[in-house]
Amino acid sequence: MNALFMFLRKSEAVLAGTLLLLMVILIFLNGVARMMGHPLNWTIDLATCFFAWGCFLCADIAWRQDGLMSIEILTRRLPPKAARALDYINHMIIAGFLVYVIYAGVWLSWVSRARAFQGMPGVSYSWVTASIVVGGVLLLITTLIRLCSALREDGFVRAPRRKGEASC
Amino acid sequence: MLIVAIAFLILLLMGMPVAFAIGISGALFFLQHPELPFTIPVQVTVSQTQNFALLAVPLFIMAGNFMNRSGITERLLELASVLTGRMTGGLAQVSLALSALMGGVSGSAIADAAMQARMLGQEMVKRGFTLGFASAVLSFGAVLTPTIPPGIGMILYGTIGQVSIGRLFAAGFVPAILLWIGLSATVWLTAKRRGYKPEREKRPTLRETAHAFTGGIWAILFPVFLLLGLRTGVFTPSEIGAFAVVYAIFIGVLIYRKMKTRAFLEALEGSLSDVGSVMFLIALSAIFSYGIVLERVPEVVSGLILGITQDLEGVMVLIALFTLAAGFFIDATVLIIMLTPIFLPLIRQLGGDPVHFGMIFLVAATIGNFTPPVGAAMYAVCSILKCPIGAYTRESIPLFAAVAVITLFLVFVPEAVLFLPNLIFG
Amino acid sequence: QETYTLRFNHVLGPSEPFHQGFLKWAERVKERTNGGLTVEVFHSAQLGVEEDIIEQIRQGANIGQNTDSARLGNYVPGIAVVNGPYFVESYEEAFKLADSPTMQGWQQELADQHGLKVVCFDWVQGFRHFFTNKPIRTPEDLDGLRIRTPPAPIWQESVRALGAVPTAMNFGDIYPGLQQQAVDGAELVYPNITAANLNEVLSHGSETKHILLVNFQVVSSQWFNSLPEEYQTALVEECRTAGQETSAVMQKAEENAKAELVKRGMTIVEDVDLDAFRKAGEAAYEALGLVEAKNKVQSEIRN
Ligand code: NA
Ligand code: NA
Repeated sequence: MNALFMFLRKSEAVLAGTLLLLMVILIFLNGVARMMGHPLNWTIDLATCFFAWGCFLCADIAWRQDGLMSIEILTRRLPPKAARALDYINHMIIAGFLVYVIYAGVWLSWVSRARAFQGMPGVSYSWVTASIVVGGVLLLITTLIRLCSALREDGFVRAPRRKGEASC
Repeated sequence: MLIVAIAFLILLLMGMPVAFAIGISGALFFLQHPELPFTIPVQVTVSQTQNFALLAVPLFIMAGNFMNRSGITERLLELASVLTGRMTGGLAQVSLALSALMGGVSGSAIADAAMQARMLGQEMVKRGFTLGFASAVLSFGAVLTPTIPPGIGMILYGTIGQVSIGRLFAAGFVPAILLWIGLSATVWLTAKRRGYKPEREKRPTLRETAHAFTGGIWAILFPVFLLLGLRTGVFTPSEIGAFAVVYAIFIGVLIYRKMKTRAFLEALEGSLSDVGSVMFLIALSAIFSYGIVLERVPEVVSGLILGITQDLEGVMVLIALFTLAAGFFIDATVLIIMLTPIFLPLIRQLGGDPVHFGMIFLVAATIGNFTPPVGAAMYAVCSILKCPIGAYTRESIPLFAAVAVITLFLVFVPEAVLFLPNLIFG
Repeated sequence: QETYTLRFNHVLGPSEPFHQGFLKWAERVKERTNGGLTVEVFHSAQLGVEEDIIEQIRQGANIGQNTDSARLGNYVPGIAVVNGPYFVESYEEAFKLADSPTMQGWQQELADQHGLKVVCFDWVQGFRHFFTNKPIRTPEDLDGLRIRTPPAPIWQESVRALGAVPTAMNFGDIYPGLQQQAVDGAELVYPNITAANLNEVLSHGSETKHILLVNFQVVSSQWFNSLPEEYQTALVEECRTAGQETSAVMQKAEENAKAELVKRGMTIVEDVDLDAFRKAGEAAYEALGLVEAKNKVQSEIRN
């Protein structure tokens, strides 16, 4: 389990980095090619498709690294136990929202599969919509892992045998 | 929509990440409207990532990260220290100057704020500025970016309201300079009051200055090359960010020879979390905007306002105040699209000048990007610098006041706006 | 009495004649149904991008969209011919399309298989011409020019067939794109130029009349079928009336915009070799495999 999470985490970062770089290269190429009188109309299309995927993969990376901003005006002033309880509630609401996002994303990808991406016949826009499904699944896994480690810290579940183990 | 706004505030106070709070509360609107397909929240979120104008945001975030690892930022800071080292509030003033320079390149306040947060934020804190002050200056400085042409807001306003875009572009310069002066003076006052020491005690020697200039030449040329890339038509405003990234890598690898494989990978890795936190929030905020548009909230409120006075200057002041207030919750782009067709006909009817009104309205709308609880540029800076919104809000009050005062000043002195376009276009 | 609401979205600005036309349509429908059916009009794509809205419509939402046949062609390929070069060459021909059995068949297919009900398509936006910084008289004059087109295959193939290099770009990017020479021109209708002040960055308008743009008003077939029959009739009939009236306004607006552009210093080129362009345009239908569809509909409306 643990090795699988590590592998997922690593491939997610590699994939997201590659997508962002490809996006830069494609947009750069687009400008150069247009200047030389040979506009490549597919470059921007591909770049925006990569952007969708990169965006949701990066969102999961940020969520895992605690990089998503929150407002702590109230929570900072609460007694630790109350703050902790709010934290559990937040994570549970978020998990519920992500389940909805995944469900709606799968449904939308399926019903709108006939929609062409950027008007290109044969290329389905569902390839873009799928990015939020995959992103949603990763975010949900991260949310559950965060929830698990909180439960463990609070002694609700048994601590793992080895330190730093990700699974619950 | 009231339930959505209340839910949003509750989730925010519960300490939920803003991105999720905005998406989840926005999704509540769809529970109230079962006739709408339940897939819309997901669909509009994905659509945000397909918005070509928003591509500039991740690109400039990456540019900031790569500049830090290429040696450009370092030399820029050295140069800044020589030039502004004896000035009160040194690096904060540098960030304002950089926003003015970037203004000629990028139309996006969010992209500029995000890039500068990555480049200058930590350095400012290192030099004794509070995190909140640094974040507020980096965020509000970006008000210059869309005011100096080209700006996406001006094109939007000009197209919706059928106002000459060339005139609007020309009209932006004087207000931009006034805003710069206002922000700079506020920074100076705060720095003086707090006793932020200038970085240098002595005037730099000629040799030091010359050294800083030759060392920093590629950093100085950065905005110049971006401008050239834009003006020669190689890149459109939406694409110029890609050029910025390539430039930073090129200088880092080939000129300064500082960027080796490891530095490159670190810059890229740092961008992942930045892009994730900023873009995820912007993407999910589309769910929130949907309800605001569908219920025509601004239209309803503005109808009330127009009942108060029919005097041109009075109406302009009220509109500016209303736009500032609406901007707390709604970002600039949505404000411009929704309010232009409501207010502009009235201004025309009262004999006002559409270019004059446009600048006031655009500046007021842009400020919405920097004000809590919903502001994309604020979120970008605060997520990148991990600055609490409370600290940001306290420190941004004087800057907000300065910008608001200048906006009102523009109402009563139309010449400040119209002088340049009249000179150029007659 | 049960009441119904249709939220109607379009990408045009609030001062465009089409927006006024939609408001008129909404007003008359409301009047005729005694407030039973309300149409709320949203300009400037406030409800979202066109493709998103079409998908929402397909899922049965009470939402409508003003769209073109190129986008509908994603679902029923044949209908894209309406967007081809020199497909219809007058307003009268465009209105006759509604009586074409082939067109009716395609509409049936859109409704039955894709959930898209075409309410009417009597909304003609006018002739598209090439706007550049040099005069265009023959297809050869377009050689090597990067012309902005909307991002759809039929547009790209049409512009390529007519001799230019199609460059996909959003409408809002045209002004800065031209100013910075990222593109050399655009193909639009006259009122687009005045509305977006493109005359500030373009010097010549050449009347190639290569596309007479017909717009389609689309709603959800599921929602449409749920309406009482007299409401359905009211929606369709008032759509046609308002559309034909607005098309006439557009024709006027074309003339006014043209006069305005002349006043603003734009050079209008009228001596265009239309036969050469018409011949060149055939290549677009061949590239998209729409030759047969085109001939069929044209023979139905020109018999
Ligand atoms: Na700008
Ligand atoms: Na705000």
